Amino acid sequence: MVNELLKEFHEIAASPKAQMDRYLAEGRKVVLTAPVYTPEELIHSMGFVPFGAWGADTELKRAKEYCPAFLCSIVQSILELGMTDVYKGASAIVIPSLCDTLKTLGENWKYAVKDIPFIPMTYPQNRKPEFGMNFTIAGYERVKADLEKLGGTFSNEALAHSNEIYNRHNKAMRDLDEVLARHPEVGAAARSDVFKSAWFMDKAEHTELVEKLIDALKNQEAGEAKLPVLVSGILTDAPGLNEILDDLGMHIVADDVAAQSRQYRTDVPAGDDALKALAQKFSGMDNCSVLYNQEKPRIKWIADTAKARGAKGVIVVMTKFCDPEEFDYPLIKKACDAADIPVAIVEVDRQMEHYEQVRTNLETFRDILMM
Amino acid sequence: MAEEVKKAPRPVDPNSAKYKLGKIAGDAYANAIEAKKAGKPVAWVSSNFPVEIPETLGLYTVYPENQAAGIAARGAGERMCNVAEADGYSNDICAYARISLAYAKLKECPEQDVAMPDVLLCCNNICNCMIKWYENLSQELGIPMIMLDIPFNPDYEPSRAIIDYVGAQFWDAVHKLEALFGIKWDDEKFKAVTEASCRSSRAWLEATAQAKYTPSPFNGFDLLNHMAVMVTARGKEEAGEAMETLLKEYKENHENGTSTFRAEEKYRVMFEGIACWPYLRATSRGLKDRGINMVTTIYADAFGFDYSSFDEMIAAYCSVPNAINLEKSRDKRIKLCKDNNVEGLLVHTNRSCKLWSGFMPEMSRQIGEACDIPVASFDGDQADPRNFSEAQYDTRVQGLMEIMESNKEA
Ligand code: SF4
Ligand code: SF4
Repeated sequence: MVNELLKEFHEIAASPKAQMDRYLAEGRKVVLTAPVYTPEELIHSMGFVPFGAWGADTELKRAKEYCPAFLCSIVQSILELGMTDVYKGASAIVIPSLCDTLKTLGENWKYAVKDIPFIPMTYPQNRKPEFGMNFTIAGYERVKADLEKLGGTFSNEALAHSNEIYNRHNKAMRDLDEVLARHPEVGAAARSDVFKSAWFMDKAEHTELVEKLIDALKNQEAGEAKLPVLVSGILTDAPGLNEILDDLGMHIVADDVAAQSRQYRTDVPAGDDALKALAQKFSGMDNCSVLYNQEKPRIKWIADTAKARGAKGVIVVMTKFCDPEEFDYPLIKKACDAADIPVAIVEVDRQMEHYEQVRTNLETFRDILMM
Repeated sequence: MAEEVKKAPRPVDPNSAKYKLGKIAGDAYANAIEAKKAGKPVAWVSSNFPVEIPETLGLYTVYPENQAAGIAARGAGERMCNVAEADGYSNDICAYARISLAYAKLKECPEQDVAMPDVLLCCNNICNCMIKWYENLSQELGIPMIMLDIPFNPDYEPSRAIIDYVGAQFWDAVHKLEALFGIKWDDEKFKAVTEASCRSSRAWLEATAQAKYTPSPFNGFDLLNHMAVMVTARGKEEAGEAMETLLKEYKENHENGTSTFRAEEKYRVMFEGIACWPYLRATSRGLKDRGINMVTTIYADAFGFDYSSFDEMIAAYCSVPNAINLEKSRDKRIKLCKDNNVEGLLVHTNRSCKLWSGFMPEMSRQIGEACDIPVASFDGDQADPRNFSEAQYDTRVQGLMEIMESNKEA
């Protein structure tokens, strides 16, 4: 049962285009959502399927007409896919301005991909005080108005309902993360598939599938123990990377990955005003390189979680040219050193074909952890 | 300002703008060091943080970007970057940030020492990199940080929502600083500061606009130096006075047919981006030797903090170069090109600055088309000398010149 489900997740994760085409064929409208956070609940409630656009492992050709080489490959490949019609049929793309590179993506998109409208989502960095919350709401209002132009309709009830669907999905993903920490037999590649598929599915459907997987895992005896690690980074879905983690017998017992668990840590609180409640969710979010906090609690979160989950080491998967993450790294290293948790850093990008360097680094790291 | 130090010390007329501007910039560093010794609070401030706040509250200020530029211009950029990199900072990170984080660790750098801070005043209207940089300073130095968030505006004009959001943060920042240092906001002082800031801004705008004359009464590389005062001291009386002197000099140059561009002005270009501080001479000479005067840059427009109400002041801070969308950025540059009879655009693709360079290829294409001028770009970095090649620069400038030449002939 577990294997059958994992196969299903794999198929979805490996073929986003087929997923998108399926929704379009069903007559549903798809709205692309760029990293790192977008108000998916709102998009969903207005009758669209939010569809993750984190680029792809693909060669960059057309994107070079717009992007200098030192923009991260996630953003460059999103533009590449847009320019090569891979996203054709999408009604719009929502891009937040949470890092400098994302700000440039929206501006370039307007000219590079003219047939898919760009909808900006502007979040406040001072997101906790009331004036910050009001600004989050203003950002949502802007998205809402743009989606209305595309035929979407808004209602408080519908948003409240979508908020619930997303909360349930969050919980399923958190539960899954915990269960997987006790099941070393589910490898890094399979784990990645489950998280990745969430971006390409209606959340209610995904929740159902994830809940099935959790049940199946609960009925399955845990496999032989492997080397427990915590993985941190923006995106860790590269097959080349996961293959190495699996080959080296590493078991991801927790993740601090933006495309994975960072998405699911915070729920929409209860409240009559669904839009306000959604803004409260954003105020409550933290522990992320693109969300300002002068205390930088993310650093401690990583060390604490590694300890709590029994990870023997932390692997930082650095997306080349991602400055928000690059700034955090020296502090992560320092905090983990102080807590006696070894740290490895491996650099990846979406054009990488050769993983020898990553393999060598991680082999050495494994040997250190096994000592 | 950094440039002055490099040049051989020949006596400068104390009544000249150059002297006055150099003194203001130098005094700011010295005063902060003295204040620190006397136990008074010092702030490290982002270049586009509303100066009205520290100035009104009487905080002594240091501008790390300015310090980093000075360090880079004096040849220590690579040495400082290496210190940060040894601590795990990637060499992809903005070189100003690397230099500043290295300074926070070493607390000395003979190329430009500064007073260490008691508080950090961060504003991200030029980049979000600033947030990360200041967060780390706050952690490494164990001091508080005031975050004034001015998000990138995807629309042409600032919305009511953004003005309200930033306005609320302005007062929040004031109250936090009052509480931190037991100081008091004074409305009268605020008024005086805003007047001084507007006065400096008006004079700056008018001085830079003198490039409308052919030949231009100044070499645009002057602006890269003088703008340090606009960044750090525009809220001070002396700054307004010095900028007015600058304006007067440029007007006189025009009347006398002289210029600080000491060559025959054959071509006029706009320079896009931050200066390559480690190669200021090489980049300047590459133009001058060919009779190319850089007559304008977006900095000419960048410090137009001339406002008549609180909301207008906030709107001005929401409209600084890196906070605005492609269309508005483009239109400002088209205006500068047209007002100043620019014949070519030279773009610095700055490895340090993702935001500034990230939509530059498309924007410069649009500017080139709208103004019917050639565009050339070169790779460089404002402070890390490892990312610039003089040979490439020369080839690109030569190419630009040849097109400008054939355009003249046509
Ligand atoms: S990978 Fe980093 S730089 Fe790229 S979009 Fe994400 S946060 Fe921004
Ligand atoms: S150079 Fe760019 S990234 Fe660096 S501080 Fe300035 S605006 Fe920010």
